[in-house]
Amino acid sequence: MSAANTHQSQSTRFLFWPRRGSQISIFEMAIFAGCIAVAMLGLSQSLKDIAVLTFLWAGLALAWNIAGGYAGLISFGHAAFFGVGAYTSTILFLRFGLTPWFGIWCGGLIAAGFGAALAIICARLRGPFFILSTLAAAEVVRIAAMNWASLTGGPEGLSIPPVAGVTNMVFASKTAYAVMMLVFFACVYVVTKSLEGSRYGYYLYSVRDDADAASAAGVNPVLVRTAAMALSAGLTGIGGSLFAQYFLYLDPTFLISPDLSFQFALLAAVGGLGTAIGPILGSFLITPMSELLRSYLGSHAAGLHLVIYSALLIVVMLYFPSGIAGAITRIAGRRGKS
Amino acid sequence: MRKWLRLGACLIATSFAFMAEDRSQAQEPIRIGVLLPLTGPFAKNGIENWEAMQIARDMINERGGINGRKIEYVNGDATSPAAAISETERLITKDGVKITTGSFASPLAIAVSQAAERQGVFHWETTGAAEIITRRGFKYTFQVGAPARRYGQVAVDFIIEDLSKRLNKSVNDLRIALLWENRAFGKSVGDGIRAYTGQKNIKLVYDEGYDQFSTDMTPIVQKLKDVKPDILIAISFPNDAILFQRKAKELDFNVAAFIGVSAGYSSPDLRNSIGSMVNGIFVADFPPKVNPDVLNPEIRKVADEFYKRYEAKMKRPPAGHAAAGFSAIWALFTDVLPKAKTFEPDELRDIALKLDLPEGSLVNGSGIKFTNFDWPDDPKDAGQNLRASIGVWQWTPEANEQVFPAKLATHAPAMVPLPDWSKR
Amino acid sequence: MTTLGQLVLSGIFIGGIYALMSMGLTLIFGVLRIVNFAHGEFLMLAMYGAWAITKMLGLNPYFAALAIVPAMFLFGAVVHQVIVRPALDKPHLVGVFATMGLSILMQNAALMVMTADLWDVPPIFGRSVEVGPFYFKAELLLGFAVTILCSLFLQWLIRSTYLGKAIRATVQDGEAAMLMGIPVPRIFLITFASGSALVGLSACMMMPLFSVFPTVGLNFVLIAFVIVVLGGMGSIEGALIGGMCLGVVQSVSSYYVAPAYGQMFYFVLFLLVMIFRPNGLLGQKGAATIGIND
Repeated sequence: MSAANTHQSQSTRFLFWPRRGSQISIFEMAIFAGCIAVAMLGLSQSLKDIAVLTFLWAGLALAWNIAGGYAGLISFGHAAFFGVGAYTSTILFLRFGLTPWFGIWCGGLIAAGFGAALAIICARLRGPFFILSTLAAAEVVRIAAMNWASLTGGPEGLSIPPVAGVTNMVFASKTAYAVMMLVFFACVYVVTKSLEGSRYGYYLYSVRDDADAASAAGVNPVLVRTAAMALSAGLTGIGGSLFAQYFLYLDPTFLISPDLSFQFALLAAVGGLGTAIGPILGSFLITPMSELLRSYLGSHAAGLHLVIYSALLIVVMLYFPSGIAGAITRIAGRRGKS
Repeated sequence: MRKWLRLGACLIATSFAFMAEDRSQAQEPIRIGVLLPLTGPFAKNGIENWEAMQIARDMINERGGINGRKIEYVNGDATSPAAAISETERLITKDGVKITTGSFASPLAIAVSQAAERQGVFHWETTGAAEIITRRGFKYTFQVGAPARRYGQVAVDFIIEDLSKRLNKSVNDLRIALLWENRAFGKSVGDGIRAYTGQKNIKLVYDEGYDQFSTDMTPIVQKLKDVKPDILIAISFPNDAILFQRKAKELDFNVAAFIGVSAGYSSPDLRNSIGSMVNGIFVADFPPKVNPDVLNPEIRKVADEFYKRYEAKMKRPPAGHAAAGFSAIWALFTDVLPKAKTFEPDELRDIALKLDLPEGSLVNGSGIKFTNFDWPDDPKDAGQNLRASIGVWQWTPEANEQVFPAKLATHAPAMVPLPDWSKR
Repeated sequence: MTTLGQLVLSGIFIGGIYALMSMGLTLIFGVLRIVNFAHGEFLMLAMYGAWAITKMLGLNPYFAALAIVPAMFLFGAVVHQVIVRPALDKPHLVGVFATMGLSILMQNAALMVMTADLWDVPPIFGRSVEVGPFYFKAELLLGFAVTILCSLFLQWLIRSTYLGKAIRATVQDGEAAMLMGIPVPRIFLITFASGSALVGLSACMMMPLFSVFPTVGLNFVLIAFVIVVLGGMGSIEGALIGGMCLGVVQSVSSYYVAPAYGQMFYFVLFLLVMIFRPNGLLGQKGAATIGIND
């Protein structure tokens, strides 16, 4: 079993990247100022679209990171929470006329419930077993959404009427959406940061790094993990509702697809797991890159953009295993020494 | 005097400006955004459609374009609904297209039209079928292809008007089974058939959806075998259609007539996949090639050229959806755009709503009349084409022949009842 | 009764095919502790290979195995050296995303080269085999027989050869094996390459049953994951039993409940096994809960 242990100690080393306190640094302030500028500036509509998506995926990657990075619960089923959130707010709006401003919270709550349930179901599982179980659970949710047509509209999905209005939470301008997504992602960031410095945050680290020691010290690992999963799932659900308000069309095969779950994890992993800034950097790098690759190469040869994208992904994963955040600290560390 | 001079100069200057603008407009191409799935699971049909669209563009440009303006495509890879929305928005906002078209599959059509409507852009949907596309009250979405229920209706009509006689049974004595893939298209068509047979008091002995990514068809075929239908209507995609036919042969499941609907059974390379097993299968779909007599003489020439070019390029005849894609875009080129001056969506919408093309005006035998005519529950002026031709054709040992409705037909239905597997 | 018998037997036979496809994955999973997310695309590549050889030489795809199996062994070795080995000493997610990147890469490269068309080989046997009231495709029975032979061979290899002992030692305790002079990196290489070769074999058995197209792997990869974990990771007989269970559950539940839910049932079965018997049916004790890399 020590082969396994070697892996574990290495991952542990990488996950313990230096944590400074939870105060806001100049670096973070600069990033947020930049984001506000991008959201407010009169950029072209298609760049705004990329900005909206970048902010949204950043928020979702941050939400995933609470479970995947901080609690060590590498979930490939987050698309289920995303879908649950999107469906909840949309169904409440279309069926009962409840404003999405209220619906997103319901979506978040129900998604949190799903997250807690999944965490309890998979409480004993680790590593690949946890990954594959979450994947399977999300597939179960997807198939249910596909076939429960009276509730979810089935395979034809649900359309939100594209009528702009504040109570509908549908806007004509992309700036409004960019601001909305920015607020979402800033909120998730604040949640993550406050988690880092909190007592509960330390519980998370302790459970992630050594569950046995943690429970010996009086921390209940199952409870801590369940809470982390619920929080992460709830935030993902809210993100799903916001996505629904932006795209205005819910299609179960996309909304609850494994691809989407991979994407959340991918952004966090490329940026740097278990760091607050990592998922943001990941989304800021990957989202515009994949959108631009598709828009410039998508029309030339079918598949070329994805070939280039995936080749870059392989190289980045192999050469920057601790993500961009890890690479930055390494460079900063070298400078500091010299 | 000076005043007059100044006024005259102004007039001359402005008229020059107008002329200059006119001239530049005459040369500037008309840009159209084409949204099709070029990667991912829908890629096969998306790419075939894209080839057909490109042939249409080349043909119109060789004929001098539209009022002297060439057609230029800007395309996007609408691989999933989310990508379809992003790509549509990109084409509209970055490349400035005012007209979009595409998008082959129903979920993609739903997404693309959503994005186009939101941006106030005219969307000319060529093949999407799910009825929700035109039931959302959109102003600028026009669906040239048939609505999903039409596919089912034609299959049922074919049974009532033709097969029941050939099988010497009254419609009510026939055991009819319905199998549908449970994505947007299959479900829509299945719903349509259920509603239509209900209306005609025909009972379905079997009615189930299945997952098109399923890898084992044994349970489905076995259940059908136990139900013993005379006629099976199946809505499938290519991979599952192949798996189904092979499994039917393996388990010796026989029907007197098999009607496949669209995508899976209409793909021309189905014969490469399952060989002579295709013979005798009926397909309810856009006609890939209709009896040329129904086409008006001018469009017949266009059709001949299209089929020739497509076969030269792809080494096989076009599938129904590719021919439908060509037909729809060609109608846009010849019947909508030449009448436009500003190319603003409101103007295009007015032109489209005024269109009244009899059947046989499009390459695949369709006509065009956008209306909400026979469905009172629909939004007013829903851009649904009610003259899209959907017919039934049959795989024959040599090629395929249109068999229904009678006026599009090139051949009489053969191999009814279908011989058992043991005799094929 | 005939119906149930047909469903169960067909389920077992198709499950055997699934099992053969999963054996390579379980071997790699068991020894290297890495989930190869490109497994489905390995299958796709090998199926294209089998199709091309069949088409060009006019042989039947079973003969293509003679070329495809060694070719896939080499391909696996190259992938191991370039992508898997560098990921082994890194956090688990690196391997996951590197192989996932490879999967997207292979899918789209195949799309560019082969287009999205479906390709098939002509049937080998004209008729199904009839046993009493039951019907079976001869290709399916042949595939099942190869699965059984292959699993017996692998059992023998792992139990009785030096290589097998080295593999078992590596699985049990990599560091100790290294100290005992077992070249662990080479064992990893051989395992990954052999796992890929097994995928090649299964592709040749599957080619007469299924069409090949760029995204064909997606239809099978989740099944393979479920089987591997169901049977217990690294266990060949586990994969065999897991495959058959999955085949039977899929076919019986699709028949008696609804075909649209067939997949849902095996995912539910998978989750139930994970809850109550997390090591799988025949897996190593504690494998799922000790934290391979959490």
